[in-house]
Amino acid sequence: MKIKIFAYTICIFAIILMQSTVFEYVRIYNVKPNLFIVFIVSIALLRGNVEGAVVGFFAGLSQDIMSGKLLGFYSLLGLYLGLLLGSVNKRLYRENILVVIFFTFISTVAYEVVVCVFGLLFITEVDIVYAMKNIILLEALYNCLAAIFIYIIAVKLNHKFEAANSSKRKY
Amino acid sequence: MLRLIKSKFFIVMTVTILMLVVIGVTSSRVSQLNWLNNIISVPLSPVQKFFSYSSQKIEGGFGYFKDVKQVKNENEELKNKISLLEKENRELLRYRVENKELREVLDLKDQFNDYEMVGANVIAKDPGNWFGIFRIDRGGKDGIKSAEGMYYPVINNRGLIGVVLNSDIISSKVVSIIDPGSSVSAIISKTRHQVIVKGDLSLKEKGFCKMDLIPLDADIAVGDTVETSGIGGIFPKGILIGKVKRVMQSGNELGRYAIIEPSVDFKRLEEVFVLKNKTNINEAGSMEK
Repeated sequence: MKIKIFAYTICIFAIILMQSTVFEYVRIYNVKPNLFIVFIVSIALLRGNVEGAVVGFFAGLSQDIMSGKLLGFYSLLGLYLGLLLGSVNKRLYRENILVVIFFTFISTVAYEVVVCVFGLLFITEVDIVYAMKNIILLEALYNCLAAIFIYIIAVKLNHKFEAANSSKRKY
Repeated sequence: MLRLIKSKFFIVMTVTILMLVVIGVTSSRVSQLNWLNNIISVPLSPVQKFFSYSSQKIEGGFGYFKDVKQVKNENEELKNKISLLEKENRELLRYRVENKELREVLDLKDQFNDYEMVGANVIAKDPGNWFGIFRIDRGGKDGIKSAEGMYYPVINNRGLIGVVLNSDIISSKVVSIIDPGSSVSAIISKTRHQVIVKGDLSLKEKGFCKMDLIPLDADIAVGDTVETSGIGGIFPKGILIGKVKRVMQSGNELGRYAIIEPSVDFKRLEEVFVLKNKTNINEAGSMEK
């Protein structure tokens, strides 16, 4: 349990750091990927809805604190993303990378549409078509690419957790 | 089993309601919950500082290998410019003294004199793609404490950047003027017409903003400068915002807007200044945000 919390904390901190500093320089067509979504999707698919929701919540919370205008907005989004994806994880063959890529795409689009509607549409007028074409779809594509790498890391973490779990059961 | 699901559902609902309350509470700029931000931002800020500093340095390092010839030409040009500017500067100095004397005679209050400038570094940008928010490495310990009626405008040597949204011990969040949802009361320098400069999602990526609510009789042209009007109590009067890049007509006569090119380059923000009001009693405090 301890090692799990430690690993997740490190991952979330690493993601915020990259997302807020280095990624600024790797923007393609002015859009950068959102590793938070990819991470939540990977963990939720591999570890189920409880861990998905918890990781989603804390990843969202840290994003809120880093840059949110409101505290709690991204946390709730992350919580529900992790919860929903964690709930489908038993029904599919999740070792397949294509499944992960597919879900990353779907969840990025859903997540960013929610951010756009609740975060912007109520404050100012927003061109939804523009946002969809120039930000959301592009970001979803980058996220799919990033999903490959993040998923590999997540699978390794998963093996470690399972190994730690089974070694504990011996005693 | 049913109980477990029920309790899970219960936990999710509790967290949801709790977070909705937190959203409600933090939606005001000055809320008691801002101390929560310290939990993550305090350990993270130094690391972010290091990361953004080194990535800036790396980016600068690539620029070093640019064409030497170009640099030489530029050097020559700049030298010519310097001599021109020096001449102009001498003239302006004379004007400044004159201006000061005249102001004293007229007893005009200089708005900038009420402010103290605090230098800060940009340590982190917005992790997402939607907002124009960034973090700076100055916070409560440097006297930037968000309170009712206290606004901290952020500028650099070229013009207006934004305003501090909230702050924790060692860092603060700044909303830039290109953030969709920010709006600044402004005037056109030439004609003194009042307008609103807003952030816009589709212009944000180019670093531009939108000028709205242009009066019908205002005669604006490409290249006109726009500055803050001082109305609203957030920004002091007379900070340069930018230049008119294009005037657009959408539909009817009233649907006129313009695209503003801010004088600040938002892609390369490194050092900024936070304007801190010296007088703690802000007359504009009761004005709305």
